[in-house]
Amino acid sequence: MKKLGGVIAVLVLAAVAAVGLVSCGSSNSSTGGGGEGKEGGILNATYKSFPDYMDPQLSYTAEGWTAMGEVYIPLLTYKHAEGAEGSEVVPGLAKEMPKITNGGKTYTLFLRPGLKYSNGKPVKASDFTYAVERAFKVNSGGSVFYTGIAGAEKFAETKSGGIPGIKTNDKTGEVKIELTKPRGTFTNELALMFVAPVPQGTPNEDLSANPPPGTGPYMIKNVHPGNGWEYERNPYWAKDNSKAMPEYPTGIIDGAKVTVVRNDETQVNDIEQGKYDWMQNPPPASRYSQVKEKYEGSQFTVEPTISTYYFWMNTTAAPFDDVKVRQAVNYAVDPSALERIYSGQIKAAHQILPEGMPGHKPFDLYPHNMAKAKEMLEEANPSDMDITVWTDNESPNKEAGEYYEGVLKELGFNTKLKVINADNYFTVIGNRSTPDLDTGWSDWFEDYPHPNDFFQPLLAGESILQTNNGNFAQIDEPSLNQEISTLGEEQLGPEQEKKYAELDKKYMELAPWAPYGQRTLDTFVSSNINLDNIIYNPTFFQYLTSFEFNE
Amino acid sequence: MAIDPQPEAAIPAGGPGAGPAAPEQEGKDRSDYSPWRLAFNRFLRNRVAVAFLVLFFLIVVFLLAAPLWAHHVAHTGPNQTHTVEKLHVGGEVREVVTVEGKPIGPQWLEADGKFFLGADSRLGRDEMVRLMYGGRISLFIGIVSGLITTTLAVILGLLAGYYRGWVDTVIARTLDVLWSLPVLLFGIALGVSLAVGGLKIGPLELSGGSVWVPIFVISIFTIPYVARPIRGEVLALSEKEFVEAAIAQGAGPGRVMFAEILPNLASTIIVFFTLNIANNMLFEAALSFLGAGVQPPNSSWGTMISIGVELLTTQPLLAIVPGVMIMLTVLSLNIVGDGLRDALDPRSKVRLGARTGVAEIEGASV
Repeated sequence: MKKLGGVIAVLVLAAVAAVGLVSCGSSNSSTGGGGEGKEGGILNATYKSFPDYMDPQLSYTAEGWTAMGEVYIPLLTYKHAEGAEGSEVVPGLAKEMPKITNGGKTYTLFLRPGLKYSNGKPVKASDFTYAVERAFKVNSGGSVFYTGIAGAEKFAETKSGGIPGIKTNDKTGEVKIELTKPRGTFTNELALMFVAPVPQGTPNEDLSANPPPGTGPYMIKNVHPGNGWEYERNPYWAKDNSKAMPEYPTGIIDGAKVTVVRNDETQVNDIEQGKYDWMQNPPPASRYSQVKEKYEGSQFTVEPTISTYYFWMNTTAAPFDDVKVRQAVNYAVDPSALERIYSGQIKAAHQILPEGMPGHKPFDLYPHNMAKAKEMLEEANPSDMDITVWTDNESPNKEAGEYYEGVLKELGFNTKLKVINADNYFTVIGNRSTPDLDTGWSDWFEDYPHPNDFFQPLLAGESILQTNNGNFAQIDEPSLNQEISTLGEEQLGPEQEKKYAELDKKYMELAPWAPYGQRTLDTFVSSNINLDNIIYNPTFFQYLTSFEFNE
Repeated sequence: MAIDPQPEAAIPAGGPGAGPAAPEQEGKDRSDYSPWRLAFNRFLRNRVAVAFLVLFFLIVVFLLAAPLWAHHVAHTGPNQTHTVEKLHVGGEVREVVTVEGKPIGPQWLEADGKFFLGADSRLGRDEMVRLMYGGRISLFIGIVSGLITTTLAVILGLLAGYYRGWVDTVIARTLDVLWSLPVLLFGIALGVSLAVGGLKIGPLELSGGSVWVPIFVISIFTIPYVARPIRGEVLALSEKEFVEAAIAQGAGPGRVMFAEILPNLASTIIVFFTLNIANNMLFEAALSFLGAGVQPPNSSWGTMISIGVELLTTQPLLAIVPGVMIMLTVLSLNIVGDGLRDALDPRSKVRLGARTGVAEIEGASV
């Protein structure tokens, strides 16, 4: 998963210990958590940007996953709850959790009977195969999660001949998936929207302007790309799907209208005046304190995330090919300064695994000490002191980049700051042919609550790609690569968590990153909305089914 | 297009204010003065222009004093961050940036000049120091791009106006195309793309983030606004007897253009250059405000307004002060430019174009 703020970014947030957060509205009632408000009504929502795609197989951003979370349900999904409870994978369209056999290589699931799409077509087991194949055919960024299915790698190249590792039976609803080797994260990956079933015959192209039918309680209508879209109730939900999956919430509001408003200052004003009921993105940093002070508890709440914000250093080229230089930078970066730059929306940390992620064990190998940093750099005496520092142009990441550039300059480097438009920042720094990729800013939000998600895509040698590279530090340490690979094949348990904690420390000793903290995000609604009832899920954020108007 | 046979803007040979086109209004003894002296005297009599020239001079002195203020008073550089630092003011401890990210407000002289105008943002940089250094960058861009624009515009105007025919057609239509582009939008697009990858055309190489990128963008897009009126004036001058006389004496095109016509353009060029600096500073501010001009961590008055706007409701001075500085500088340059025009060529109708804010010559066919 991804980075917040970039086009390819997806936040899949996890709630750090939902301590203190009351999930008044967990999904017990038939409507999905009705509180003291009223049934019905049309929610007026605003997003700062239009999602990357309005297509379940393609979307890989926070906006997209929030927008489609209640429209497309995968075979497995996440519990409609907050915090750690919301990170629990539960059956979605499948009757029950998969039966894992053959040493962790075979997953067997059964589709619930009687399910229908919003166009009235029945849902078939083979639609799952169609969805996986469609993800490959449309070159989805999420297709990489499924290359471990037998025959999928070949299918990814040829885009024809089917994926022999998926066998389905439409009569019984059976879905059997064969993997080439055990994959401890595969249950989580079955709960991603990339493989949410869509009707067979759905065109293998970007359908953002006219999204395909889904199975959730709401359906998307009247999409105006770039400007907004609407939700209506899925007519087949009440009749069929809610009976087939009664534990899944039906939703309280009748629908919603989403308008893209690109100025977040305007969004805040509009929420205050009741023009909109909810803004999907957080208020701008400049208004954060004011909004928090005035509305916290009534219309505003801070939401924890499972994320790590960090500065990466290219370990393959001078001066950052020297571990001492990287360690010196870690001593020089002051997470408490970055806390201020993020207006208090960063909780300082100096390690890879964030709080709330299994395997997280707090430590700080590099407490801020500029004098020591300078001393270490002097000892290292790097031959090349000319470096380029990269960041995107979205506040406060831009300011974080400026701060970092200032720190490096203070250390004695000759720095050049490159500020790239957030829309293509990760594309630029993910392309290894981009010149002067020395060091820069990045963030990472979990795809799913498994520590492997913070190592495999970001720090494993095999993740160094020519384009769409996620291992910006380009670190390729064979012994640690092996550990990642071995741990990735195992189902997560206390023993594995301990090993991931050790892995965290081993990587920080090599210091490919200078991590500085974990982000919080927010929910901000108008006075018309029952804030207490909104469920903030680690993966899908605010669930549409949990919105409720006050009486 | 038709060429006006008697353009009012035409300036006779001999320099500004000279010849029959510039009647002696200064008294009979003034005939002993050089045209430049006469122009200088006329400028001095324009009290408003002189006052604004003094104001511009003071602004320049203020900007040149940036290193002194930074070193001896503020004790910090323009890009130096002080996010976690604290100020001790009369026994009171004040955070430069609070944990909530609120920067400190103006301290005036309470902290011995440190953070005189407060901190600029959550990065805790000294606003006063950035204002002084940012102004240097803004003025530098204005002057250098003004020089480039004027130089290129004069060359193109001379070539088009003197040679006419296909040379004129090619140059004039190219300028028309450039003129027809939505300047700000195109400037933003070019500025943003160059800010990422820089520019390399033959020996010309600009790295992204360099102040030469906005200079390049501004220079290119403002050429038509100067070249077209210059061309019109050259068209008129090339009909004059002194040009015909030079040609009759065997002068080649180069000599005619640069030795005969160019000196007669001097007053116009000076006026255009002055007004062009002001216009280019506004263009730079707009580009920087929109993120396509001066790149972080460097500041210009445009980028400072852009940062200040975020805090407009709580710390309005962060946007207002650089805004006022731009206004004063541009106003003084415009009024000085107008004063120069009046002094150098009292009969000319060089005026500020309503559309562009750039000088145009009324009556010159273009």
